[in-house]
Amino acid sequence: MSATELALLSLTEVAQAIAQKRFSSREVTQSCLDRIAQWQPRLNAFMAIEAEEALSAADAADAALAKGASRGALHGVPLAHKDMYYDAGKVVTCGSHIRRDYVATTTSTALQRLKDAGTVRLGSLQMSEFAYGPTGHNAHFGAVHNPWHVDHITGGSIRMPAHFCGVTGLKTTVGRISRAGAMPLSQSLDTVGPLARTALDCALLLGLMAGADPDDPTAIAGSLPDYMSATKASITGLTIGIPTAFYVDDLDAEVARILDETVAVLKREGANIVQVELPDQRQLTAACQFVLAVEAAAFHKRWMIERPQDYGPQVLMRLQNGLAISGVSYLEAMRWRGPALSAHLAAIAGVDAVIAPVAPVAAPTIAESDVGNSPDAEAVIQRLTRFTRPINYLGLPSLALPAGFTRGGLPVAMQLIGRSFDEATLLQIGAAFQRATDFHDRIPKSA
Amino acid sequence: MTRPTAKEIKAMADVTGVPVSADVAARIANSIGPAFEGFAPVAGTLPFDLEPATFVIVQAAKATKEAAK
Repeated sequence: MSATELALLSLTEVAQAIAQKRFSSREVTQSCLDRIAQWQPRLNAFMAIEAEEALSAADAADAALAKGASRGALHGVPLAHKDMYYDAGKVVTCGSHIRRDYVATTTSTALQRLKDAGTVRLGSLQMSEFAYGPTGHNAHFGAVHNPWHVDHITGGSIRMPAHFCGVTGLKTTVGRISRAGAMPLSQSLDTVGPLARTALDCALLLGLMAGADPDDPTAIAGSLPDYMSATKASITGLTIGIPTAFYVDDLDAEVARILDETVAVLKREGANIVQVELPDQRQLTAACQFVLAVEAAAFHKRWMIERPQDYGPQVLMRLQNGLAISGVSYLEAMRWRGPALSAHLAAIAGVDAVIAPVAPVAAPTIAESDVGNSPDAEAVIQRLTRFTRPINYLGLPSLALPAGFTRGGLPVAMQLIGRSFDEATLLQIGAAFQRATDFHDRIPKSA
Repeated sequence: MTRPTAKEIKAMADVTGVPVSADVAARIANSIGPAFEGFAPVAGTLPFDLEPATFVIVQAAKATKEAAK
């Protein structure tokens, strides 16, 4: 296998290869760094590339392994993370001008758990300013470009980048992974989750990051499922629901085609497919907007007063939206969350998961989605995030899987939406789908 | 529930301590207005004894059932 191909292996393949000493951590890390050097000028995917430190850490990992000392399941595996996870002593910009030089004094629990498993830090990844945007545009550090077509967007968060860029992303249940040391945007909605090549990779990362944390009382205690074992199980006999409305309305024709094709694959793999009638998702979307807008504005209030000029126009505009929502309206949205979740769970009582598109369209171009703070900016954002907002509000897990390509060559993902804390079933279905398809293995032709 | 006007938003922003211009208030009204219309069927209908922590209770109930499987 060539050095270039090492960087194209999945996370679990790399972890196994290093553990079995088929490749060294240095070889894999160097392969990743070579690809980063090749692609960074075109994609702007990294905020900071820490080549020397990464190679030193890889050498240390190789030396330890030679002595029989493995740190854990990801010993010597190179990894990067969004530039909003604090790592003590490292600059964490949060994609912002305001925190351009901010040096973290603590380390995020999720990041520390991955470090404890042996990962090698490659650097930090670009992001929307303060994670407040679904496109990947950044007024301070430039747009991030889609690897399948550099004129198109990448998305922000977890499921949108998975959809737009052809990778697998797991949005976890609120409370599944500690948020301690992760930059806050909305304390009620924020979740931590992996983006990787496969569902198996996501299962491995989830198992390492999840669980109770004394630094985040909202991270739930209790034993965790064996996510890796879940990915090996058949989906014969599982029931997957297709919504009768909202998630199937006004779809781009190619997204609709790929949804049908995905359902056909799942059926062939043994799943029962049924229709499911969900409660009104527009109300959930609106409630999500209330919660997000108010909580984000509250976090940012001091800087909105003292440094409004240091925000990008769109982020400032969206933060200001929170000023228009009264305390009573915000609390109504928070109080309704329990009954809304209860109604959703009742609606899906007969199914193991719900399948839906991540977005109604494939990645738009940077030009058509770079709407700044124009009057229709919020409408453009709402259209892109239409199928993710209701799930965010309900705090449910959702696994985004590469499911096909448009005729123009852009990837399209479908999301499997589960019950609270039932990521295992989503990973089971996702892994079965990926055993039957190769969309997750494809890479941009120019790569 | 009705969507707030630009004038009302300007007053709210002043009270919050983050004053905005009339133009910005108009832009906010345009941006956030549809959310008020979307939430209108829920607003003012919730039972008296309902508090936000109910969400965690519903989540936990499902989690307990999952763990017991």
